Amino acid sequence: MDFQDYYKILSVAPDADSKTIKTAYRKLARKYHPDVSEHHEAEEKFKQVSEAYEVLKDPQKRAQYDELREYGAQPQGASGGQQYSQQTQNQGDFSDFFSSIFGGAHQSGQEAGAQGFSRQGFSDQGFSNKGFSNKGFGAKGQDIETDMPIFLEDTLTATSKPISYSLPHRDAQGRVSHVNKTLNVKIPAGVAEGERIRLKGQGGQGLGDATSGDLYLRIRLVPHPLFDVEAHNLILTVPLAPWEAALGTSLEAPTLSGKIKLTIPANSQTGQRLRIKGKGLVRKQGHGDLYAVLKVVMPESVSEESKQHWQQLADAAVFDPRTEWRK
Amino acid sequence: MDLNAQYLSLEEICFATQNPSQTIIEIVNQGIVEPEGSGPETWVFNTQMISVTKRACRLHRDLEIDWSGIALAISLIEELDQLRDENQRLRKRLERFLDQ
Repeated sequence: MDFQDYYKILSVAPDADSKTIKTAYRKLARKYHPDVSEHHEAEEKFKQVSEAYEVLKDPQKRAQYDELREYGAQPQGASGGQQYSQQTQNQGDFSDFFSSIFGGAHQSGQEAGAQGFSRQGFSDQGFSNKGFSNKGFGAKGQDIETDMPIFLEDTLTATSKPISYSLPHRDAQGRVSHVNKTLNVKIPAGVAEGERIRLKGQGGQGLGDATSGDLYLRIRLVPHPLFDVEAHNLILTVPLAPWEAALGTSLEAPTLSGKIKLTIPANSQTGQRLRIKGKGLVRKQGHGDLYAVLKVVMPESVSEESKQHWQQLADAAVFDPRTEWRK
Repeated sequence: MDLNAQYLSLEEICFATQNPSQTIIEIVNQGIVEPEGSGPETWVFNTQMISVTKRACRLHRDLEIDWSGIALAISLIEELDQLRDENQRLRKRLERFLDQ
């Protein structure tokens, strides 16, 4: 188990006062908070910073930690320090190092909030909360959030898809291990990117006979090799040969639900959009549309014969593509 | 597995997010979530609101911001997420026209 240098984590001197420590924590917490940060190790760093602050903000804990740091003693088991009657719900939140000093049965100020509320009185601010009970706090199991990848094709109708996730499991001795669980989930038609599905009771176990937590699935639409998504519409990029754009053509285009005939008008431009109604994604009423965006492409190489034809066109053409530059 | 519990009452969202009703009421008062219904007795929350509520509580707890600051923070974070999303989608569309 690694020694955690809490002072280093917060970038403060070992003799820093509590105000300095608080300021340092706030700055780093803002930087690495997973809700705010795009940093790919944000969650890990945030946990470290929180843990460091948890210890250094409390004079007693800090003293204990300082002693350990100075004398390099082996951390004691959970027998030292205060005893707490409630077990922590979030056993993953503190490092092994922390638990070895302050015990696995520690409850931080943050978690204690849940129990604390049942003792508070509430003042009337805006709506009053008369008649609402605050039962059942601190007893619910951990909520779990995970991504659920879905192909665009799957969103066209209601389907059932399996999802596998890791579930923390507590045995009779209170040891936590992780089990892999798989569920079949009914997905309605027309789900959008980022939409959440809540599966009650499929999260972590509660303590004792408390309710289990919930499972939240975040829909993630798997990028399609051909189609791009814009709200309920789909965009298909259609490559065309120069003569197809010049003369117009008829071609077979893919859609999510089979092929369609697409007519390209003569004198088409790169970037031009053709709208095909109803061939987009499912929405509350009907479907979105499919937009075919034209893209003129040149062949990789030109034969001598073709080159002559091109030269004839060049000679006969009266067309300046760069009028914009001459202004 | 059915998509049960997509709509929740005040009591249910309190339990789902492990908050006392006063906290949820404060969150609604700040405009952080806007449930259907005229008052706490008739409020209806959806699944999306559960995540926003939990996020608000995390920010309040972890960053020690007061509730009115949370409202602004959340709206900025949401805007940021939307912009990042749009950015990614536009890049993807652009890549179809550029040299790989």
